[in-house]
Amino acid sequence: MPNEIAPRQSTLASILTDIHFWVPVAVLIGGLVLLTFLS
Amino acid sequence: MQSTLTLDSAAQQASRARKLQLLGILSGFTAGAWLGAAEAPTKLVTFGLSPMVISLIMVVGVFLARWSVPALILGTSSVRADVRRAPHLIIWALLAGCLWAVANTMTIFAIRDIGLSIAFPLWNSNSLLGILWGFLFFNELRQAGWRRWLGVLGGALVMCVGAALLAIASSTQATAAHSLRGVWAALGAGVLWGTMYIPYRKAYLTGMNPLSFVTFFTFGELGMMSALAVSYLGVAPLLRELQSARDVLFWLTLGGFIWVIGDLFQQYAAKYVGISRGIPLSNTNQFWGLLWGMLVFGELHGRGHSIYAQVIGGSLLMMAGVAAISFSSATSSEQRCWKQAAHREGQRYNIESDFVDARMVGRQSASEAKPSRTAIDWLLVAAATTIFAYFAATARLPQIQLNWSPALLLSAATLTLLVICGVTLHRTTRFH
Repeated sequence: MPNEIAPRQSTLASILTDIHFWVPVAVLIGGLVLLTFLS
Repeated sequence: MQSTLTLDSAAQQASRARKLQLLGILSGFTAGAWLGAAEAPTKLVTFGLSPMVISLIMVVGVFLARWSVPALILGTSSVRADVRRAPHLIIWALLAGCLWAVANTMTIFAIRDIGLSIAFPLWNSNSLLGILWGFLFFNELRQAGWRRWLGVLGGALVMCVGAALLAIASSTQATAAHSLRGVWAALGAGVLWGTMYIPYRKAYLTGMNPLSFVTFFTFGELGMMSALAVSYLGVAPLLRELQSARDVLFWLTLGGFIWVIGDLFQQYAAKYVGISRGIPLSNTNQFWGLLWGMLVFGELHGRGHSIYAQVIGGSLLMMAGVAAISFSSATSSEQRCWKQAAHREGQRYNIESDFVDARMVGRQSASEAKPSRTAIDWLLVAAATTIFAYFAATARLPQIQLNWSPALLLSAATLTLLVICGVTLHRTTRFH
């Protein structure tokens, strides 16, 4: 049954619990902090 | 009989995979040419606008192109259908756009503080970070064998050395006082740009069309760039500078438009060869940018022989790196690892496996409707065209010496790549 998908958490919960999401977020925050320091 | 059919199917899949790999390499190379050509119109802007305003105006051109080009090619109905299937990617696209804008602003500081010669190779290290993220998060270069590793990593490193030589040759700016600050800015830009490819790969592993992804990416890009411009310059000075830039709006937005074409090919490269190979290939933009600067704008005119030796040496190294990466395409076992990553993403975000599988090989799934254009698409194209035509009508022709023969030659080469890659993309994937 290749197309059968089990009930899942909400999209937002899926994003917030995805480690891949937090890497770019951390880098973005670090970048903004660095920009403040640079200017 | 059964085994013959299975063998045929395996052979077809292998042939399809090879075609897609070649398409990805061609897309990466075309991306480099167009991203490099995007620098040409900006070189026509010779009076003292703030770099922040130049970036902001270019991003406005980018915004116009990012909506009109996808509307023209596939239609916004295709974008809507993609978003319905993978709504989470809107957030990823916005995040990637924000990363791009912050990185782009950092390059302004880096060039100001340490000059292009040191800054460019530092932020070009984004390709090495892309290889790391591709390996860690998306199973790229897994089960690839040491030859592929050597080809990709070695190729990227050789390209970095070539980039350093080209940057030293093209540098016209002396090193300024705040060298440490400039190094941090350039490294920061490299980290941000290298990390920006995580959302790219995420999107393409879960089946989103690159043309859909960029339409949301640009909101992050324009939003963050506007916020940065306002916070650094203030509203009133920003408006004054924008007002004074009326004569050159066309050249800067045209640069943004050309940049979008390059970026679209870069997106297809990231989709079909992954970020570990796609980023270094599109980083050849530096080579093309230098060709435009040197041949068309006479930037190195009258400089010593050693400069030309650096340019030739740097270009050869870059080409060697490109060749090494191009000949290190993913093996079938590595591609199986990519599929595992794609299915992991599909399960996490609840996306049908048929859709993920079909899009991964550049096809539509059986449940998808054929993309079609509506009146809204033509309206978007007409609006963007009108704005560009207005900017062109109010543009001032710059008083600058151009070498027209190389300009025409480079334009022809860039357009030829566009046609070849565009036609190949259409025939192989219908732009999916």
